[in-house]
Amino acid sequence: MTKIKMSNQHENGGGNGNEFVERRRASLERYLNRTAQHPVLVVDPDFREFLESDVELPKATNTSALSGAGVMRLFNKVGETVNKITYKMDETDPWFEDKLIHIESLETQLRKLHTNVENMVIYRRELANLTNGVSRSAAMLSACEDHNSLSKALSHLADTEEKVEALHLEQANTDFFILCELLKDYLGLLSAVRDAFHERTKLFQHWHHAQQMLAKKRETKTKYELACRTDKLDQAATEVLEWEAKVERGQENFDKISKMIKMEMERFEKCRIKDFKAMFIKYLENHLEHQAQLVKYWENFLPAAESIA
Amino acid sequence: MADKQLSEEGNNVPLSDNSLLVDISDALSEKDKVKFTVHTRTTMKVFQKSEFLVVRQHEEFIWLHDRYEEQQKYAGYIIPPPPPRPNFDASREKLQRLGDGEGTMTKEEFTKMKQELEAEYLATFKKTVAMHEVFLTRLASHSVFRDDSHLHVFLEYDQDLCARPKGKLQQLGGLVKSIGTTTDQYYLNATVRDVNDFFEQQMNSLTEYFNQLKEATTRTDKMTEKHKELADSFIKISGGLLQLANIDPGPLDKHLAKVSDTFEKVRKLESRVACDQDLKLADTLRYYMRDSQAARALLVRRLKCLANYENANRTLEKARHKNKDIHAAETAQSAACEQFEAISAQAKEELLDFKTRRLHAFRKSLIELAELEIKHARTQQDQLRKSLTYLKELS
Repeated sequence: MTKIKMSNQHENGGGNGNEFVERRRASLERYLNRTAQHPVLVVDPDFREFLESDVELPKATNTSALSGAGVMRLFNKVGETVNKITYKMDETDPWFEDKLIHIESLETQLRKLHTNVENMVIYRRELANLTNGVSRSAAMLSACEDHNSLSKALSHLADTEEKVEALHLEQANTDFFILCELLKDYLGLLSAVRDAFHERTKLFQHWHHAQQMLAKKRETKTKYELACRTDKLDQAATEVLEWEAKVERGQENFDKISKMIKMEMERFEKCRIKDFKAMFIKYLENHLEHQAQLVKYWENFLPAAESIA
Repeated sequence: MADKQLSEEGNNVPLSDNSLLVDISDALSEKDKVKFTVHTRTTMKVFQKSEFLVVRQHEEFIWLHDRYEEQQKYAGYIIPPPPPRPNFDASREKLQRLGDGEGTMTKEEFTKMKQELEAEYLATFKKTVAMHEVFLTRLASHSVFRDDSHLHVFLEYDQDLCARPKGKLQQLGGLVKSIGTTTDQYYLNATVRDVNDFFEQQMNSLTEYFNQLKEATTRTDKMTEKHKELADSFIKISGGLLQLANIDPGPLDKHLAKVSDTFEKVRKLESRVACDQDLKLADTLRYYMRDSQAARALLVRRLKCLANYENANRTLEKARHKNKDIHAAETAQSAACEQFEAISAQAKEELLDFKTRRLHAFRKSLIELAELEIKHARTQQDQLRKSLTYLKELS
């Protein structure tokens, strides 16, 4: 089967192939590190094999949009989304309700912020491009300026603007790789958090379903008892026992996932706070560095302007 | 700031006396016109009073410029370029667009964007006034231009100068006129053989210089505009971070609020950088683009004189050949010769003057540009350092 991967790297900020590869590299690296830092996921045999085994791993055929598995996944997803929207569980634990609301509003805000940061990156790149135009113009002007010292200063200005252009690109990279990508990662993580919450809802549904079934089976059993249908009573009793076990398991599973999610959320929040704190500091430090560069560039230019005579 | 810088550059021949001082004390923007209040203080005897005010509009400034350009006695001088037409369309359009996008941002973000646009409008307005003022101060401080009677009328006569309103037809007339002068130049360049290499070379290099300045001005404008746009985009980021801080109380909210505040402060600094690049770099380029055009106009006038002179020579030869009207032709020829020599000598001096003026202006603004860039970058460094210290202490 021939598969076509749609490449949309040109839409994402107009970068060239190398830039696309670098973005992808950085993002995959962050993904692996995040998995490695998780106490449970890190001991997963698949993860270990991914890192260790030097034979080729089976390809994830179902990630491609055009494959059969992809289509199936799409159907499942649609079904789940419908389920997510239509099924409303009776929440017994207000903690989950509050958390979900918080997660959702966080996601909305982060998404907005992410878009605006993306715009800033685009503006910064465009500014670099336009600064290049000014640099070229200053060079041309320098060539047709017949006064020596002014011509020299203009050529110096052209050099300075060229350096500033490179600096703007670096600033754009700081904005992108440090700030923008972290926001994007967290948008993905928040949606994973919501998925975990949904898994809990599903388990609740199963448990609830088992409870209903158990009630029905008991009813049947009582009916048979009253009617003295001993022939069917045995089977009904077994079924009751069976569903009692299912209810018990359902509750167990539900309690387990609830506990697990609470623990995970604690870990997630810790990581989130740590990541954001570290990111802000790194981000501002990088920009501090850029400004120091800028001071240097213009300090270098100043003598050339002063020697115009 | 714009006023000061431009008026200092504009001084053609620095005069130590204060016999004629002109400034624009006030300006009023109406729907489709700007009214400038021109304020004059003088000790010159030709004026009735020693201090007076008149209200003038842009078209009257153009009228005054054209009077200088059409008089033969100023043909050898670089006539100060007329101020550009007041144009606030860009600002108005942006305000309009902001209004359309009001729903997509929070109230604070909208207020900040609006403030930025209003500041931008005000800056454009001030610049317009400054450019009109420079035009007048250059005339008033010039040893020859200051004695012109049209200037006196412009400064003193407190009625309209019938120069406006400029109808569509007249605007078209202006266009035809400007096409006329450029074709004049090509025609003269092609037909008149210059006797002087210096001028031919000057004409070529000035034309090239003007083209490059024009390109550089456009590019610098585009750059500063984008820089402004970049600075404005920080508003939404700062606002977004603050909203995050509000919905996420706990160990991160102080950090978020601080970074939001840092973005806001850096925004103002980047805005200043864009503004100063516009004032120091773009405006200097723009002014000398127009001044080099004025210098080129002088060279065209000189070529016209040369053409007249050559015609007079031919007429004289014909007259001698036919032995008729020799005396009249001789007088005409020597007058044309004299005129040509005078304009050539004057033009040489003016070109030198243009160079000195340009040198001073570029020196001054490039130094100021570098100093401001350094200052703003340092302030931003300080700001970032402060924020970092705070954030590090928090965690």
